[in-house]
Amino acid sequence: MNNESNIIEIKNLKKGYDHGQTMALNGINLEIKKGEFVSLMGPSGSGKSTLLNMIGALDRADEGSIHVAGYNLMEKEDFSQFRSKEIGFIFQFHNLIPNLTVSENVQIPMLETDVADEEMVKRANKILESLNMGHRIDHLPTKLSGGERQRVAIGRALVNHPSIILADEPTGSLDSKTGDIILKILREIHQKENVTLILVTHEPYVAEMADRKINLMDGKIS
Amino acid sequence: MKFRSLLLKNITRNKTRSSLAILGIAIGVATILGLGLVTNDLAESTQNALTADAADFSVVYGTTGGGGGQGGAPGGGSSPGGQQLINETKVTEIQQISGVSKAVGVLRTNVDLNDTSNSTSSTTSSSTTSDSDGNMGQGGQGALQMMYSVIGIDSSDLSLDDIVITNGTAFSSENEVIIGEMAAGSLNKTIGDTITISNQTFTIVGIYETGNFQDDSGVVMSLDKLQNLTGNTGMVSLILVKASNGTDATSLAETIEDTYSNELTTSTSLSGMDRMNNGLEVIESASWAVTLLTLLIGSIVVVVTMVKSVVERTREIGVLKAVGWTSKRILTMIIGESVVLSLLAAIVGIVIGVGVVEIISMAQIIPGIQPAFSPILFLEAFLVAILLGIIGGIYPAYRASKLSPTEALRYE
Repeated sequence: MNNESNIIEIKNLKKGYDHGQTMALNGINLEIKKGEFVSLMGPSGSGKSTLLNMIGALDRADEGSIHVAGYNLMEKEDFSQFRSKEIGFIFQFHNLIPNLTVSENVQIPMLETDVADEEMVKRANKILESLNMGHRIDHLPTKLSGGERQRVAIGRALVNHPSIILADEPTGSLDSKTGDIILKILREIHQKENVTLILVTHEPYVAEMADRKINLMDGKIS
Repeated sequence: MKFRSLLLKNITRNKTRSSLAILGIAIGVATILGLGLVTNDLAESTQNALTADAADFSVVYGTTGGGGGQGGAPGGGSSPGGQQLINETKVTEIQQISGVSKAVGVLRTNVDLNDTSNSTSSTTSSSTTSDSDGNMGQGGQGALQMMYSVIGIDSSDLSLDDIVITNGTAFSSENEVIIGEMAAGSLNKTIGDTITISNQTFTIVGIYETGNFQDDSGVVMSLDKLQNLTGNTGMVSLILVKASNGTDATSLAETIEDTYSNELTTSTSLSGMDRMNNGLEVIESASWAVTLLTLLIGSIVVVVTMVKSVVERTREIGVLKAVGWTSKRILTMIIGESVVLSLLAAIVGIVIGVGVVEIISMAQIIPGIQPAFSPILFLEAFLVAILLGIIGGIYPAYRASKLSPTEALRYE
């Protein structure tokens, strides 16, 4: 990367579907600094989630360059270690594993690391307590409210101490009051941990909370 | 949380599906185990029946090198069937050799037992002469001769020559004989009939079977009588030897060959063993065919179960990839789940298999079945289960590991 303070550098990034008939990303150029809180705004189909997936190495671009936390994501390699160490995903639908307890769900990302079993439990429970979920560690996700589930999902995203949190409409499935609580938690984490936070939303008031607001339209930054 | 606890939790997630899969595989394992128990029993009982008292090898005239010709050796006598005879004193000598449990002299010859001159009688007349090969042939008959074996052996030693009486009793006097099943059939003879050999009439007191075509086409009488009939008093064609318990038969045969290096040689008579092996091979082949079929069905059960499980968990697999799980770990998780599923099925299958075979045995539903339990069989059942788990888990695991994270996360 050219600039040491940039954790993400994207140049002329393109991604098409249906053999290039539909361009989800059509020449994105973007730099995000370490510890920055950025919101990605735009209507449905503007390319917000696609860009987030590119940054998280869940998908691969067709053209351009993308460097995240020192990794060149255009290289053909397995980026599971990158995702495990550097990225914390939060989805609109929490995507918790229903047959695992709250604590076990948070421990899932650590199974791919060298963390010892006891340490896993300790670390997961500590994070859950910080998210006011300490009283729910042995409960199954089905017994939790939407807001509680999303807090567990936040715990799961944070447990490996990632440098970047990618949140794809984290309040999209919540009522406004619960959504505000989740946003407050995310903002606190960003401030306390100095973690880079990229938040996809189509709610303008949510986008305004970020240090920087990026608007996407038809696969381009507008 | 341990990875193995995750596997167990995933299996118990859909209890109905897992239970049905376990039952399906368990029936397969039970079938394999049940067949194995019965096949082992058949093998053991057949082997016991055929080899319990049979000789380990026979001693015949000749040199170890395979040459040596027929005559000239000390103790050699006349030769029924073109075979150099052995002086019966050798039987006593061999009996004295360390490691010999029993040595028995046997005289063998061939004779034409067909009675064309007296077809209405139940007796068979023949005017026996000694042909150039020493056979007791029937003179003056233009018809095609069918030769029958005549074996002379003491009635107490029949089992050493693989002779099993299937009907009647053994001969107890010199004018009694037993007849082979094939000879009885072709000559239309049965117990109580008489048969004439060398102008002497014998009463048939039993029917025997050896499993050897040639021996079953003949008669057996006392050794002394056959020696008298053929004019070979004190001579035998071969000596059957049974090694003592704990003595290696091959080493013992080598000792005898070394002791009589220019005179006697040994050979292993495998007719009974061959027959047993052939029979067992057929049983084992059938058992293997059922095993393979069971493996195939079991694999399909595992594949279907695990594919359904993977499809249901597509989005979850996407999440696991998003949080940093490698394709290898996902592959291990799915194969691990299918192996654990199969191992549980193995335990259930073993219980079912042993239970069913025990019930069949105790209730005498199939007479004579005594399950032959062996640790190897149980080990095989477990190995089969693990194999099923791996084979059945490969495709769904591969499919899961190759899922695109973004597509998996979008899966509804």
